[in-house]
Amino acid sequence: MKNCIITFRSVTPAQRAEEVLRRAGVECSIQRTPKWMEEKGCGYSLRLNCRDIMTSAAFLRQAGIHFRRAYTLRDDGTPEELRL
Amino acid sequence: MIYLDNGATSFHKPETVYRAMRCALDNCANPGRGGYPAAMAAAKTVLRCRERAASLFHCMPEQVVMTSNCTHGLNIAINTLVKPGSKVVISGFEHNAVTRPLHARKAQITVAGRKLFCWEDTLETFENALKKGADAAVFTHVSNVFGYILPVYEMAELCRQYGVPFAIDAAQSAGMLPIDLQKLGADFIAMPGHKGLLGPQGTGLLLCAREPMPLLQGGTGSLSALQDMPDFLPDSLEAGTLNVPGIAGLSAGLAYVLEQTPQRILERECREARRCADALGKLGFCVFFGENQSGTVSFVPNMDCEEAARLLAEQGIGVRAGLHCAPLAHESAGTLDTGTVRISFGHDAAPWQTGMLAQEVEKLVRQS
Repeated sequence: MKNCIITFRSVTPAQRAEEVLRRAGVECSIQRTPKWMEEKGCGYSLRLNCRDIMTSAAFLRQAGIHFRRAYTLRDDGTPEELRL
Repeated sequence: MIYLDNGATSFHKPETVYRAMRCALDNCANPGRGGYPAAMAAAKTVLRCRERAASLFHCMPEQVVMTSNCTHGLNIAINTLVKPGSKVVISGFEHNAVTRPLHARKAQITVAGRKLFCWEDTLETFENALKKGADAAVFTHVSNVFGYILPVYEMAELCRQYGVPFAIDAAQSAGMLPIDLQKLGADFIAMPGHKGLLGPQGTGLLLCAREPMPLLQGGTGSLSALQDMPDFLPDSLEAGTLNVPGIAGLSAGLAYVLEQTPQRILERECREARRCADALGKLGFCVFFGENQSGTVSFVPNMDCEEAARLLAEQGIGVRAGLHCAPLAHESAGTLDTGTVRISFGHDAAPWQTGMLAQEVEKLVRQS
């Protein structure tokens, strides 16, 4: 499974996003955002299967939950920012 | 003890409140500061509280800011809306939590509506004051002294009509009366967590519909590389570690209120307030009771009000006497010199409480 990461400004929107996606049947888990992904420091993100990334972004927009960025992890482990 | 001072704080909380606080102390670390289970459990506890409040007050969870009490929230609201010298309209029944921050900002205050229980007077004078030009309005939903329920939805409509930003003090109404942030269109609504919402002391909520000016700056667990405070809610107003055990208790209190419904709680309180006013009136006291009244009743006893409260306390009845931190309300009602004895019922209001109170007050009358 290929993993994607959606980053949030703080824990509140990340938690709300987790609840919205779980209710919609999307499997995801909340985690601290890796340091290199958040140049402004400290944030939370959701890790999910890349096959769900587009629908997840749509669900979050619909729920009015602001996210910062989305990344996919290449096979060699390096990240690539996604345009959603 | 027969506790009839719910206007100050609710004392007998639902059992779930105590359990939730104990559970938080056992299981919660600092919310928004780590990714390990105890930190996430704390974050979940706080989010659950926001969600319950959002459901009760018709707003988004992010608009629910945790404060340490209602005064804290009112200070944020007033700090945002009122600049030094601003023209501010208030009602004649405000608490010092509103008037003192306004005084500190040297606001030009217009007091509108001083007749107890009279919506016509409140609305007419309030509109006249807005017409003359105002930068902001701050008004209470319910008088903490007399239980007068102000026509806040109509006052809110007037503020919107005249383009005046406004904040509501819901200290005595949250948990008992319908409060809808969307419908009211208020900029801010401040409330305590420890009164009608049945949480512990040291908790409060501020509902925000506009960008606030923070009173505190500090760590928020977000955007930590920046020296400016985050510009988004709730982080912009929540610098420093939150009172998680308190918030857990508040969340359990909110769950109880949602389940019982504010309407049922208010009905219980009002029923006893009416019976209490009848009983005190029959004893010949000056009792303040009228239409649009909550579960709070004030009366002027046939002795010093503090002495009356002391004698009632000796008989195991807790009531509050004096000016109740609201000299403006007393001035409006003409009781600034005497003060009053205030009886305020809570979610557990019951006929036996009123019966015992009436019996003890009657004894005081006979003794004096």
